Amino acid sequence: MQLTIITDLNKCVGCKSCQVSCKEHNTAGAFGPVPDNDPYRDPDGMWWNRIVGMETGEYPNAGVLYLPKACMHCYDAPCVPVCPTGASYKRQDNGVVLVDYDSCIGCQLCMWACPYGVREFDEEHGVVKKCTMCIDRLEDESLPDYERQPACVQSCPTHARTFGDLDDPESKVSQLVAQRQGFGLLPELGARPAVHYLPRRPAPVVIDEKDVLRVMEERY
Amino acid sequence: MRPTTPLLLITVLQGLSGGITLAIAAFSFLLPPASDSILRNALLLSFAIAVIGGISSFFHMHRPQAGKYILRRLKTSWLSREALTTGIYAMILGVVALGPLVLPVNSWWYWVGGVLASIAALAAMFVTAMLYATIPAMRSWHSPLTVLSMMAVGLSSGGYAMLALLGESHLAAAVHRLAIFMLLATIVVAGVKLLQWKLFRDARRSLNAATGTGMPRAPYRIIDTGTTRPPYHTQTQVWPDLPVSLRGGLEAVVVLTMVLLPLGVIVATLDGTGAGLLTVLGAISFLFGTFVERWLFFGDATHSSKVWFVDQEKVGSRVATNRPSPALVHRFRNM
Ligand code: SF4
Ligand code: SF4
Ligand code: SF4
Repeated sequence: MQLTIITDLNKCVGCKSCQVSCKEHNTAGAFGPVPDNDPYRDPDGMWWNRIVGMETGEYPNAGVLYLPKACMHCYDAPCVPVCPTGASYKRQDNGVVLVDYDSCIGCQLCMWACPYGVREFDEEHGVVKKCTMCIDRLEDESLPDYERQPACVQSCPTHARTFGDLDDPESKVSQLVAQRQGFGLLPELGARPAVHYLPRRPAPVVIDEKDVLRVMEERY
Repeated sequence: MRPTTPLLLITVLQGLSGGITLAIAAFSFLLPPASDSILRNALLLSFAIAVIGGISSFFHMHRPQAGKYILRRLKTSWLSREALTTGIYAMILGVVALGPLVLPVNSWWYWVGGVLASIAALAAMFVTAMLYATIPAMRSWHSPLTVLSMMAVGLSSGGYAMLALLGESHLAAAVHRLAIFMLLATIVVAGVKLLQWKLFRDARRSLNAATGTGMPRAPYRIIDTGTTRPPYHTQTQVWPDLPVSLRGGLEAVVVLTMVLLPLGVIVATLDGTGAGLLTVLGAISFLFGTFVERWLFFGDATHSSKVWFVDQEKVGSRVATNRPSPALVHRFRNM
């Protein structure tokens, strides 16, 4: 099993709801905290999910693109083998990459090894922290089903984000990646990110026999 | 990435200590013999430097209480291996340097210890260099040049320290031989550094926002890096781009202190008249240059995530402008 989040770049409007809800949940969550020592004077502190905004193209064919960027929970996560203490590890059962704060020495080597710059150093606790895929929510059996998904997925107002198992060919995320040419970032660095994005192009219209018959009946 | 004092001290002092130890080995086994007391003093100096480097490595760990786990990933982590090899090196060196206080010198243990210390020094320097060279995301470091440069600079800094010790003692034959060797070593250092700086420039230029999206509608301009800004407190793998003048100035300092001044000292030393204080100045100059070189190695390195932090040149909007449109001006004039 490899849990992942797929973001449809056609739907993402850069509202940062996922960025804020990540911080909100994990500041209080069991696997946190995301430090927030001086939130008003220093809002540029630690975020596990950051929305990068870009202008694309040249006028008059210009546009704006938003790229939500958090841990990609890579298949070949380069942050894991470099860690001398074993604090960085990848779960065998669901593919989520986590940090064991108790054995982290704060050497930051994993931050240099991660191609995506999504690990964050907590100066106060002296450890590296990052997106946990909200593992505390996923595994909390006391939560209702709709809450057992990452906070960023649940809070996205445009439903741009989809959560699921990329190793299951029948899952929604696998089908989205297969049908919509989902891609991972910086593939040349060999980390094999599990997190994928759906490119900005019109979604292909899927028409089956039933649709054809219905339209034929309505019109002719 | 952010250069930190412990990182500078660990890498520079480990190279310096290893270089001195290997220079001592060269004099013990290959070169014309220098005086025993000088070699023993050099061993003590090398050990003291290794200890200072080791102490500074504790300051690089932000949670030393978890340090007991550091050898857990010897199979895959170069940092685990670095802790092991540097520890072994310091232990063997300690025995060889401090042993003469209680054991007879020039007996078998001294020579065996010397050989083992030299091998351990080489291994520790190699492993430390590999730690940096094997990180694909650090575009400026992911190259054999990193290993070559760290080893060459470390060995040369030790060589210059040894030259200073010998120069002070006026051992003309030993100084002459070492000076010829250092002449070659300095030329190698200069060549490797120039190639490495070119690699740093290429890495910097090859990364921009367009490479970070995987999509074709280029060009891209970052408008919001997602609630972060220089100096990227929580993201030490990136560091604001160095101003061109600062980078150029520091590179000039490196060339002056690690190449030109030491070469001047060597030329003065070759004819046998320049030994003494001049060799000490040469060693100090090279060591100073090594610290500047290492600061640049860290501070000027480009990480792949820079594609999303890039402080790209601002391109003015083609639509919004402060100047009144000539067409509008014409219309108003004719109203
Ligand atoms: S995105 Fe970075 S931190 Fe996350 S698994 Fe991949 S390499 Fe590790
Ligand atoms: S900072 Fe912590 S998690 Fe990262 S490599 Fe060092 S010990 Fe491992
Ligand atoms: S919440 Fe959804 S729409 Fe808003 S920035 Fe995140 S992914 Fe994009």
